[in-house]
Amino acid sequence: MDLMAIAQGIEASGIATAIRDSIYAGPIINVFHVIGVVLVFGTISIVDLRLLGFPGNGRSLSLVTHDLLKWTWIGFAVAAVTGVLMFTANATTFYINTEFRLKLVALALAGINMFIYELITARHADLWDKDVPTPTAAKLAGALSLIFWVAVIFLGRWIGYTKGFNFDIPVELDLENLF
Amino acid sequence: MNEFAAWLAGTSLSNTIAANLWVIPLVQSIHIVAIAVVFVSLFVVVLRIWGWAGRDQSLSATSDRFMPFIWGALAVLVITGVMMVIGEPARELISFSFWAKMALLGIGILTVFGFQRHLAGHREQWETTLVAQPSTRLLAALTLLVWLGVIVMGRLIAWDARIWGSLSPQLVG
Repeated sequence: MDLMAIAQGIEASGIATAIRDSIYAGPIINVFHVIGVVLVFGTISIVDLRLLGFPGNGRSLSLVTHDLLKWTWIGFAVAAVTGVLMFTANATTFYINTEFRLKLVALALAGINMFIYELITARHADLWDKDVPTPTAAKLAGALSLIFWVAVIFLGRWIGYTKGFNFDIPVELDLENLF
Repeated sequence: MNEFAAWLAGTSLSNTIAANLWVIPLVQSIHIVAIAVVFVSLFVVVLRIWGWAGRDQSLSATSDRFMPFIWGALAVLVITGVMMVIGEPARELISFSFWAKMALLGIGILTVFGFQRHLAGHREQWETTLVAQPSTRLLAALTLLVWLGVIVMGRLIAWDARIWGSLSPQLVG
C-alpha cells in the first residue's frame, strides 16, 4: 500500500482544493481546532489530576468524570474533524512531516492509556471513588495522560514551524517606510 | 506603535529570541496549555452557575477550587505573551487581531475579577443556590464568550491581513 499515493489523492480531492482556495476556510478550521484542543486538555487534565489525588480525594471521582468527560469528547470531536480537514488540505505535506507522525503516535498512546484505564484499572473504581487514595495504576494513568496530551499539543504546534509552507511566518514589514 | 515595534525588534533580547528558532514554538506551546487551564477553569465555574456541573458543591467551593488556576495560568499567559511580543514585535503589535484580543482580554479579566469580588461579599447566599438566576447565567455565558473571543483573536494573529483585509494595519502602505 503506497501511503504517499493515497495522500496525493486526498490532497487532489475537491474538498482539499476548496479549503486551499478559500481565504477564510483554513484560518477558521484552525481556530476551531484550537478551541477543541483547549476543551480536551482543560477537561481531561482536571480528571487526570483527580486520579493523582489533586486537590484531594474528597470529591467523588465518578462525579468529576460525569461532569467533565462529556466535554472532553465534544472537544475531541471538534479537534478530530478540524484536524482531518487540515490534513486533507495538505495531506502530502503532513504525511512526510516528522512532528505530525510523532503527534499521531502521542495521540495513539493517549488512546491506549485511556482504554487500559477504562477497561482494566477502573473496573473497581467504586472502591476508591471518594475519600480513599486512588491506586497506583490509576495515578499512573493520570500522569501518562497528562504527559501524552502535553506532547500532542507541543508536537501540534511544532508542525506549523516544520511543514515547509508556514502560516506563522509574520508578514515581512518594512518598518522604516510604513508611512 | 510602528516606531516602538521597530525599536523592540532591534533589541538584543528580541534578536536572541528570533535567532533561536525553537523559542517561539516552545513559548506558544506553553501559552496554549495555559489557555486550556484558564478557559476550562472558567468554563467549570460557569457550568456550576448554570447548574450543569458540580451540583454537589456550592458555587463558592467550585470558585475557590478553580480561581487560583485562572490567576496562576493567566500569569503564565502574560509572561509567555510578552515573550512572543518581544520575539516578533511586528507580527503582534501591527495586527488588528492582537489589539482586538487585548481589548477582549481587558474585559474578560475585569469581569472575572468583579465576579470574584461579588462572590466574596455574598458567600452565604451562594452556599444554598443550586442554579443562579437568569441574569447571572447570562452574564456568565457572555463572559465565557469574551474569553472564547480572546482565543479566536489570538489564533487569527497568524492571518491578520488575510482575514481582516483593510482593517489590518499590515496592509498600510
